[in-house]
Amino acid sequence: MTIPEDFKTRLKIAKSKIKKQLDNDNEKRGSFMGSAFKLGTELVAAVAVGTIIGFILDTLFDTKPWLIIIFFFLGAAAGMLNVIRAANRMQKED
Amino acid sequence: MASNPMQQFTVKRIGPEINIAGVDLSFTNASLFMVISATVIILFLFLGSKEKKIIPNKLQLIAEMSYTFVAKMISDTAGSKARPYFPFIFSLFMFVLFCNMVGMLPYSFTVTSHIIVTLIMALFIFIAVTIIGFIKHGFKYLSIFVPSGVPAVLLPLITIIEIISYLSRPVSLSVRLFANMMAGHTMLKVFGGFVVSLGILGGWLPLSFSVALTGLEILVAFLQAYVFAILTCIYLNDALNLHH
Repeated sequence: MTIPEDFKTRLKIAKSKIKKQLDNDNEKRGSFMGSAFKLGTELVAAVAVGTIIGFILDTLFDTKPWLIIIFFFLGAAAGMLNVIRAANRMQKED
Repeated sequence: MASNPMQQFTVKRIGPEINIAGVDLSFTNASLFMVISATVIILFLFLGSKEKKIIPNKLQLIAEMSYTFVAKMISDTAGSKARPYFPFIFSLFMFVLFCNMVGMLPYSFTVTSHIIVTLIMALFIFIAVTIIGFIKHGFKYLSIFVPSGVPAVLLPLITIIEIISYLSRPVSLSVRLFANMMAGHTMLKVFGGFVVSLGILGGWLPLSFSVALTGLEILVAFLQAYVFAILTCIYLNDALNLHH
């Protein structure tokens, strides 16, 4: 009669383990939205900064509209770089 | 009842107008809520650390938990070299967190939903981190703009991209906090307005949305303070441990 008792405790331990894992997953799900938003701003901010730099340089050297176009694309590239870096950081955290 | 959902963000002057050298330095509701948040933090930490019991009461437990939380965050992301910056990051985290949380109270004002507040904090961090980097490494700090293992043809292009990426840090840091807080509070107000306009018959659905959104907003308030602090740690790490 000791075997079912043993099995019961083992079942209890296994169940509590699964429950803990589920709770963990639920906590993480909330922060996924934060991560998604983080990546979005990362991309947009770099494009905005690149375009602003292009605009300033354009008015400085009087070369409208060439530098603003070039720096827009450089900013987009910088944004993608930012996103890749942020994603790498997130993977390292997990 | 304010029908305009953006009305909650207006900055109003409280008390007399103070004008020093053409700069308006009047005390506003934004300044009032910053003072309230700072006072609440000081009170909370003071009362939490007053009785140093071995078995802590609830307040002491929360105060100690916030300490270990930030300390662990710093040592995990920036290593032991960032220890001296603990007071700065702790105050930053607590200030953003309490500004967000005080903003969740009805009839209060959310300081962090204004881009000028978050941008000033982000610019301060950005400039401070840059200065720390130059003090620690001298002109070698500029090497973070030049990644290793890049062909010489692409080097000027990559350097410009790296500089733009570096300059975009304060923008993304401030816009993220500001946009999250502003969007959340606008949404709460919009659903609140629906409850009033639909009345007792149809107002229950938007009311339940409002309740759910309030819970979500509290989560966002904490999460954004955490993200703000952890990104500061990451930038500090880049400045302290140069290895790109």
